[in-house]
Amino acid sequence: MKALRQIATLIRKDIGLQFRSKETLALIFVFSILVVLIFAFAFGPNFPLEKSERGKLTASVLWAAFVFAGIITLNRSFVIERTHGALHGIRLTGVDASNVYLSKVVSNLVFLLLLEIVITPIALQFFDLFDDITVVVLLKLFGVMSIGTLGFCAVGVLLAGMSTSTDGGESLLSVILLPLVIPIIMGGTKCTVSILVTGGLENRFWLGLLIGSSLVFLASAYLLADAVIEE
Amino acid sequence: MRLSAAQITKHFGHRAIVKNANLTINSGEVVVIFGPNGAGKTTFIKILATLLRPTSGELEIEGNDAIADYAAARSLLGVVVHEHLAYPTLSAFENLKFFGQMYGIEHLETRCKSLLDEVGLQRFVHEPLHIFSRGMTQRFMIARALLHNPSILLLDEPFSGLDAAAKQFVQKRIAQERENGKGILITTHNTELGYLVGTRFLFMINGDLEEIAEKNEISEEDLLQRYEERSIDTA
Repeated sequence: MKALRQIATLIRKDIGLQFRSKETLALIFVFSILVVLIFAFAFGPNFPLEKSERGKLTASVLWAAFVFAGIITLNRSFVIERTHGALHGIRLTGVDASNVYLSKVVSNLVFLLLLEIVITPIALQFFDLFDDITVVVLLKLFGVMSIGTLGFCAVGVLLAGMSTSTDGGESLLSVILLPLVIPIIMGGTKCTVSILVTGGLENRFWLGLLIGSSLVFLASAYLLADAVIEE
Repeated sequence: MRLSAAQITKHFGHRAIVKNANLTINSGEVVVIFGPNGAGKTTFIKILATLLRPTSGELEIEGNDAIADYAAARSLLGVVVHEHLAYPTLSAFENLKFFGQMYGIEHLETRCKSLLDEVGLQRFVHEPLHIFSRGMTQRFMIARALLHNPSILLLDEPFSGLDAAAKQFVQKRIAQERENGKGILITTHNTELGYLVGTRFLFMINGDLEEIAEKNEISEEDLLQRYEERSIDTA
């Protein structure tokens, strides 16, 4: 119970801080909309492409936007903790490092899901797919994105915890994170394409890869959290 | 005995910052470590606060091994270091409330308000920390350190950058907490204030911790003279 209470307190604090400053939220929303707009201008305004091509384009744009917005979110969430030693303050309360890790995963997941819920319909509209999408397809899409985002945050929080403790850590995160999350990006993109084009998942291998890699990242990062946050 | 550190050594790379330091802090005692900048005082206090792992050595807090079971030891410590250990965009009250929830303190709102009153921040309860002056921040940090009523206080340079009124406040608060039976460790290079609040004195020069004397064994002048001699010898 104590651990759950501490995790809930940490999540409330993270979300409260981000909504209060709105700095990170504004940054990731503007960045993601810009990515969508740039691709829409490059390929539009009329899309002669086949639906399958538009589906591939939309999936690529969405995942590119989410991955880079995710890096911004992860970095910011630890910079807030490190700037005035607040993370030391949290450690001094005796909270388990793995609980700090879990709370960071959840709060980052919340921000990125919020971003995905707003940006996905905008991208679908810009790439002329919105009319073909049913509520069920949209739910499948968010399901896949949620799993991918969870895996991304699972490994990203761990690496952000490490990189922000070093000089120039903010740029270091993208260098060390992106190669690691390739299975998630591959699985997520392929599943997204399949859902956008066919309305379902044609090849279950990619979903398996997405779920498997997300769970492996979550479990291994949870076990390593103590070493990263305590050192 | 509140705290016992034995043969604490800390290396950063090949450089030894703290060398085989031994220290005990008893209930109702104010131990003062004097040392120039870069002597290793902050590193040593961070090790005692379990924020840094020593390269070697043993640390016991209230009889528990604080290196192996640091989580349990931390709830017994109140720590003031150079960093705020808090969130600058949150108000003093919100910060205390958040950390109080983490500690699991009961009647938290009352506790936060009374602590902020005690440290003289009642007019700034709902102001964010980033607008606080150095003295106000130090008052807040003392409130934060006392929030969970710890048995040991570790105060790194508590008088640094404070005006006369704020120094007097910190000095009175230390005396009050000593009377409450807390074991207190202070690091400072201010020999005058350190002598005033302390009951036992040590020097830390170039990572070496040296026991000097109890307060009743040494005058302020002698302490200052020895400190200056030691500092010059090793400069």
